[in-house]
Amino acid sequence: MRERKSISARRPAAAAARKAAGRPKHDYSKELMELVVEAANSRVLPEFLRRFAERTAEMLDASWAGVGEIVGSRVEIYSPKAGYPADEEARGWLVQNLRQKRLGLEVLPLGRGGLHIAFYPIYASDGELMGTLCLLRKAAGLSEDEEKLLAALASHAALSMEKVRRFSQLERSKKQWVEDIDAISDYIAVHDQAWRIVRTNRSLATDLGIPPAALVGEPISSLRHIAETGSALPCPFCRDTREAREEYIATSAGRTFLVSTSRTRGASEEESRTIHVLKDITDRREAERRYRELFDSIQEGLFFASPEGQFLDVNDALVRMLGYQSAEELLRADVSAHLYPTPAAKERLVHAIAERGALRNYEETLRKKDGGLLHTMQNISAVRDALGNVVQIRGLMLDVTEQKMFQSQLQRERDFNQKILNTTQSLILVLDTAGLISYANRRCYEAGYRKDELIGHRLVDWVETSHRPDFEAALKTTAHGQQVDNLELRARRADGSLGHFSISLSPMRDEANQVNNVVVVMTDITDAALLQAKLAHAEKMATIGRLVSGVAHEVNNPLAAILGFTDLLLENPEVPVSAREDLQIILQETQRTKEIVQDLLSFARQRPAQKEPVNVNVVLRQTIKLRSYDFSSHGVEVTEEFEENLSPTLGDAQQLQQVFLNILNNAYDAIQESGNHGRIRIRTRRAEDDIEVAFMDNGTGVADPERIFDPFFTTKQAGKGTGLGLSICYGIVRAHGGEILCWNNEAESGSTFVVRLPAATETTLAAAAKEAGR
Amino acid sequence: MTASVMPRPAATILVIEDEPSVSAFVRAALERRGYSVVQASSGAAGLKQLEAGAFAGVISDIRMPGSINGADVHEWIRKNRPELSSRMILISGDTANSETQSLLASSATPCLEKPFRVQKLITMVEKTFGKP
Repeated sequence: MRERKSISARRPAAAAARKAAGRPKHDYSKELMELVVEAANSRVLPEFLRRFAERTAEMLDASWAGVGEIVGSRVEIYSPKAGYPADEEARGWLVQNLRQKRLGLEVLPLGRGGLHIAFYPIYASDGELMGTLCLLRKAAGLSEDEEKLLAALASHAALSMEKVRRFSQLERSKKQWVEDIDAISDYIAVHDQAWRIVRTNRSLATDLGIPPAALVGEPISSLRHIAETGSALPCPFCRDTREAREEYIATSAGRTFLVSTSRTRGASEEESRTIHVLKDITDRREAERRYRELFDSIQEGLFFASPEGQFLDVNDALVRMLGYQSAEELLRADVSAHLYPTPAAKERLVHAIAERGALRNYEETLRKKDGGLLHTMQNISAVRDALGNVVQIRGLMLDVTEQKMFQSQLQRERDFNQKILNTTQSLILVLDTAGLISYANRRCYEAGYRKDELIGHRLVDWVETSHRPDFEAALKTTAHGQQVDNLELRARRADGSLGHFSISLSPMRDEANQVNNVVVVMTDITDAALLQAKLAHAEKMATIGRLVSGVAHEVNNPLAAILGFTDLLLENPEVPVSAREDLQIILQETQRTKEIVQDLLSFARQRPAQKEPVNVNVVLRQTIKLRSYDFSSHGVEVTEEFEENLSPTLGDAQQLQQVFLNILNNAYDAIQESGNHGRIRIRTRRAEDDIEVAFMDNGTGVADPERIFDPFFTTKQAGKGTGLGLSICYGIVRAHGGEILCWNNEAESGSTFVVRLPAATETTLAAAAKEAGR
Repeated sequence: MTASVMPRPAATILVIEDEPSVSAFVRAALERRGYSVVQASSGAAGLKQLEAGAFAGVISDIRMPGSINGADVHEWIRKNRPELSSRMILISGDTANSETQSLLASSATPCLEKPFRVQKLITMVEKTFGKP
């Protein structure tokens, strides 16, 4: 045998034993054969080794023989009879020697009575020292034959010990295996080709209430009531016997099993086995079912996706959200290309997840199946493997389209309001209830107000002193929740000038409905007010003009008769002298009446008598010259601020001189009345399309600038003027297509008269030249 | 009165004036200077007189009630009695009136502005119609 050979090559003892077996002095082959048979049949090692020791003692003429078996750290001594070792000390010495590794025979004197003890090692086939054979003899040595025999015996012992050891190891592991299988809580059933149960584990048998051995040999169909796959095969757990492995779910009576099946092909049909492992997953199924239910019924979209962003599983809400018919449709590979409006959007998302692991409130616009846009907010987390690679993406998706729309609508509205706020021509300010400015729209700053003089300051400070009580009262009213509209008052502009403002105050309330702010809208209506006043004035003047014209006309007829007959009477020599004197008075007064009517008619006159280019500066200088003596003798200082190269105006130089003279006279009278050191500033300039002449005096000012041009409106003493002078001026200037204005100076005493005449253009000059040449 | 100052029948002047007092004073002033006067109180009446007889001159108010005013009379004369168109004096109550202005400007007809002195009337009449 090869095994023997390999041993003999390495084991001198075994080799010696074989030689000994070849040429024994005394033939022990019969005893040896018996031992071999005994060894083959022996399953119980201690029994065998004891007998072995006994035989060895007989064969080798020993008073005592024993086999020391090394079991881990212990040494078990097997011998037929007691007596040796005599005491603990001797036993200790023996054990030590039995454990010792030797190459072959070793004989030691025992020290008393000439006894010797011989040791011979027993090696296993793998070279492990299994034990030592020992003999107690009188003789100091062993003959060659005896030693050979001893080697043969040791070799036998080794074979037997090894065999028994292996056998018991097998027994142990088989037992262990059965215990292990029995310990598994899953049900295990093994059947053969004939559908007979070969084995079940304890769990399964316990479930049936019988010992596992009782099922062996029974048909596998008897386990049908545990669970069933529904196949027509005799085995309730088999579905396709051609498959080496199967895995499926089987249910029965409220329980769910995951059935894992393996099939082994033996050397023969009989040896083929089918092993079913039934795992009770009832609880897991339930948990899964609940989870799925939650997954599908939740209103938020849920998804599992690959690291590349491809959906792996989605819930119904997500399917609905994205407008698909089914999850299957959405899970198709080509969907994600449609889903993201741009490939970059998807890349960004995938990248962000890989980088940060989780995204909170990630906003993403997705494209629905029909192409419509879906605004979503997603919470996404990445599932990573042990190496940290993202293996899955899980997320929750909310449809925020409505919110988004609402938000953008809000934004639009806010932008719209902002635009209105910023583009309106009105000044809009927000005050707290104490009247301090907390907000001013852009228009305020465009109008020249500075932020630092508005924010945190009282608006009332900008209101003209005399109007402050009105404003304060309005503010108070508004603070009580009442709106105040179109309060008209004067306030300071950014440049310091006073403007006429229309002011509206609206209360703004907090959540508790308490007024906490007041919105003030201020509109500078100075120009509008001025224009309206001008229009009203013009209309009034036109009415007066028509009236005056009518009256003058009607007066002229009787006047003509009176004047005519007075002349006729004066021609009559028969009229006495005394009567003539009276007639002269009638004549004078008629003449005066005539003049008044003439003046009235010039006021109402619509067109100038002549239309020639007139240099206003020249006319003014001539006019001033007319009164220069009076002015210088009364200490009235006249300053000329004339813009040179002023365009001409088309008109009647004579009439314009009348106008300027009238205004100068008026100024002179006002200065005389005031007793001031008189000053008259006359300024000419181009003002857009007009030539503007301004007369500024420091006299008493005008009592009512609004009515100064009305006929017969005079503040002068009776007899000093007809009250028609300025009315005539008005008529003349109007007839020239211009306007005449008057106001009292703001900063100082006196008044300002302004005459505006249209500057002649090439077109009007040409037209006038044509008219004159006709 | 001497024969030399008696008006000749040829020097008859037609006065068209709706205002009786004005018409009366003009008639008195002219007759005192030796003219003979025929009065018409409206434009229409004036045109009737013009159709019926010959006149040395016509004095007409511009603004008169009725369908025919001084401008219409002037126009009629220019068309039907061209020899009289240079022997016409207009009387106006309001020369500022634009209509009057244009009439005066285009026709170069002398005009008396109400109220006027007798001397001014006589001077203009003698200059335009000649002495009686």
